[in-house]
Amino acid sequence: MNSPSKTPAVLIDQCSKWYGQVIGLNNVSLAIDGGVTGILGPNGAGKSTLFKLLMGRLKPSSGSVRLFGIDPWDSTAPYRRVGYVAETERMYDWMTGHDFVTTLARLHGMTRDEASSRAEHVLDFVGLADVQHKELGKYSKGMRQRVKIAHALVHDPDLIILDEPLHGCDPIARTSIMSVIRDLGAQGKTVLISSHILEEIERITEQIVILHNGRLLALGNLHAIRDLLDKHPHRILIRCDDPRALAESFIENDAVYGVVFRSDEHLEIMTNDLSAAHSILPRVIVNSGVKVHTIENPDDNLDALLGYLVGGDS
Amino acid sequence: MDRQGRDLAQTVWTRLDRKAGAITELTIRQLRHRMSTWVVLGVGTLLILMLLAFYVDSVRDGFKPIDNDGDSVDNDEDGYPFGQERRYGTSDWNPREYPGSGYYVQDGEISWNDDARVHSGNHTWRGATGIFTPVWLDSSYEGDRWSGIIDYDSIEVCPDEGDFATDWWIEWGTACSEENGDLVVHSLEFRGEGRLEVTEDWGAEWGHITDVYDVEPQPASDFIDEDDIDWDGNILRESQGYDDDGDCRRVGWLSDDFWFEKDTNRNNIDCDVRWILGSDGETIVFIQADEYVDEDPDDVRLAGEGIHRGFIIGTAKIAFIMILSIFLPLFLALGLVRDETENGTLHYLLSKPIHRGEFITYRLLGYVIVAGGFVMALAMIMALVTSLMGPGDSLIRLRDIAMWMGIGFATVLALTAYGAIFNTLGLVSSKYGVYIALIVGVYEFIMAVLTLFGASLVPVLSVSHWTLQLVDSLVLIIWPDTLMMELQANAFGLSTGIDLFWNPPIHTLGTDNPFISAIISVVVLIFITVFMIWFGQRQFSRSEIM
Repeated sequence: MNSPSKTPAVLIDQCSKWYGQVIGLNNVSLAIDGGVTGILGPNGAGKSTLFKLLMGRLKPSSGSVRLFGIDPWDSTAPYRRVGYVAETERMYDWMTGHDFVTTLARLHGMTRDEASSRAEHVLDFVGLADVQHKELGKYSKGMRQRVKIAHALVHDPDLIILDEPLHGCDPIARTSIMSVIRDLGAQGKTVLISSHILEEIERITEQIVILHNGRLLALGNLHAIRDLLDKHPHRILIRCDDPRALAESFIENDAVYGVVFRSDEHLEIMTNDLSAAHSILPRVIVNSGVKVHTIENPDDNLDALLGYLVGGDS
Repeated sequence: MDRQGRDLAQTVWTRLDRKAGAITELTIRQLRHRMSTWVVLGVGTLLILMLLAFYVDSVRDGFKPIDNDGDSVDNDEDGYPFGQERRYGTSDWNPREYPGSGYYVQDGEISWNDDARVHSGNHTWRGATGIFTPVWLDSSYEGDRWSGIIDYDSIEVCPDEGDFATDWWIEWGTACSEENGDLVVHSLEFRGEGRLEVTEDWGAEWGHITDVYDVEPQPASDFIDEDDIDWDGNILRESQGYDDDGDCRRVGWLSDDFWFEKDTNRNNIDCDVRWILGSDGETIVFIQADEYVDEDPDDVRLAGEGIHRGFIIGTAKIAFIMILSIFLPLFLALGLVRDETENGTLHYLLSKPIHRGEFITYRLLGYVIVAGGFVMALAMIMALVTSLMGPGDSLIRLRDIAMWMGIGFATVLALTAYGAIFNTLGLVSSKYGVYIALIVGVYEFIMAVLTLFGASLVPVLSVSHWTLQLVDSLVLIIWPDTLMMELQANAFGLSTGIDLFWNPPIHTLGTDNPFISAIISVVVLIFITVFMIWFGQRQFSRSEIM
């Protein structure tokens, strides 16, 4: 067995996973060690397949998966250093949050007392200290997600894998979970978090992996990828009192190559350089004297990013 | 010692303990929070309590002495029981015959072809057909048609046209009266003085009753439990037994049937019981009694004990093993792992450093603690009630408690084996596992019934067979005299529940030693359990979890 310090936390080598005729993961190679990494992809892209391979739930059809140098299909040893937040929403509703985390902590070989005090600590860390003795059945969706995170952290793991932890959470819970994940990254843990919402990942990390149809589409810094994207046609949707007056002010600008009036209140601006367009936006609006209610970037999402990446690929 | 200075026990075993403890505890708590658990435990408790109520009710009535040889009855209602009438050689079917009623001596007869057809005198007339002209009749000498003795109440008036035997007849065993006071009789017995004209081609005989004396009737209770089993416990003495009531020896009997056989067991000793020793030289394997020897033993002592044991063995086999040990796992064990997979909650548990095989074992352990604890508690209740209320002089029957603990142990072994089987079925096919488990349950029940009926070969491929075999063995270990009791029940016509529910253990490797069959049964049950757990682990470790 390799010394853990020399091997990356996650090493996936030319790994494929087939479900009969359907491919779940297609020849993916990946090495991740340290920091927070966002696994991005639409539903069915292979995120959960990737995580289940990492957690030894599935066996790779070809290639190999290693956690700290060990094959998780063969050995449970890596789980001593891994915390996993599964996508599943079912829990033991009759248990209290503290009970739940304590029971699972004991599976790491902790004594009842150790487990209990660790549970209190992590529940406090995820902001559930005051409700830890309430039954899980009475928890909100966001609280349940945070209990799941707490159970994954209870043994102070080096690698934390979170499968769609923000799914279905309200904005407050989302913010709180994001801050927990950022804290973990700051503590030097290796964190893998999956999501199909670009904005969520963007608020947590810059380091991303994009999966699409089971293939690894992109890997690296989110901003670098976005910069590439910015050079491609984009739309900016502005809701304002006088779209025509505002359109006149934009037409003169080089960054804008067209405008469309969607309704009496909506103006759509077409641009080839999103950052340039955004940099002039405040000035143009102020100069025009038009009252603006909202500004949206409908193309600034994962679908658009994928559309671009897939398009660029072909 | 590892790098942190902890010894091996601290690092490996205690951690295993902790994981085992956590999963076991989780399983117990899960089962506790499931409605179905309480329903099935409630139904089980109800079943056992009903049986217990039945037992308490029958014990409260007490074990009444039974007249096993049927000699206390008085069939002809003459006040003398059958046993007493036999001793005096009188019939218990004829109320005119009873001890001291005397016997008939023939003085003369007219045969069907005699020329002289008339006889006069003061006699007891028998089988008379003809016309009797009475001087007097003994109206106290009366019977009915079936006894052939005249019944004065049923005498009718004879037809007034023509003559008897030429113009008209009356029925056999009846009489009719003529206008002139003559009595027409047909094959009838009566007593009186007069002239009898015997009908052509028919006959009559006459005589007198002699040796009439008074005999006090004995109470029926003299003939209940009057011939107990006489056995001194010395197995080396083959010929034992004593005919206490003398109905084999026929000492002092007034008439001895010349055909009566006093040595039906053919050992050249009259009126004894053969206690035949087995090849092991330690146990009686066969009891052969001469007819009417030790045939009416003390039921309270023997049958009472037998019925008590029969109840315990029957309850153990049918309620505990055939019902509880199959139904509890069907409800509690089938979903031990399967439900976790279906709910998705398995992901929480399997993301911890615990091997899937270990996980199955600890889940089963939790189930066994719940189901086994329940069964042991029921067995304890049964033990308390039967050991306090059972027959015998001692305050508490300690062997009953040992027996119930043995039954609890056997049931727990069965529960564990079925738990492992059903849990594995749930893993092999989450969709059809429940149906396969039901089929297995029915199969096991049928095999248990076959085993109860004494089948030894076919049911070998079942858990229930070996569990029942274990109970059969435990019965002999804890109550070594059970075999003897069953032999006695068969030899002396006692009715107990033992032979209904108990067979001597079969799989003793030819030694007839119940310890061997007990050990074999336990080993087989543990083997089945371990094999099924291993198979389930193998299946589970290789399966992908979505």
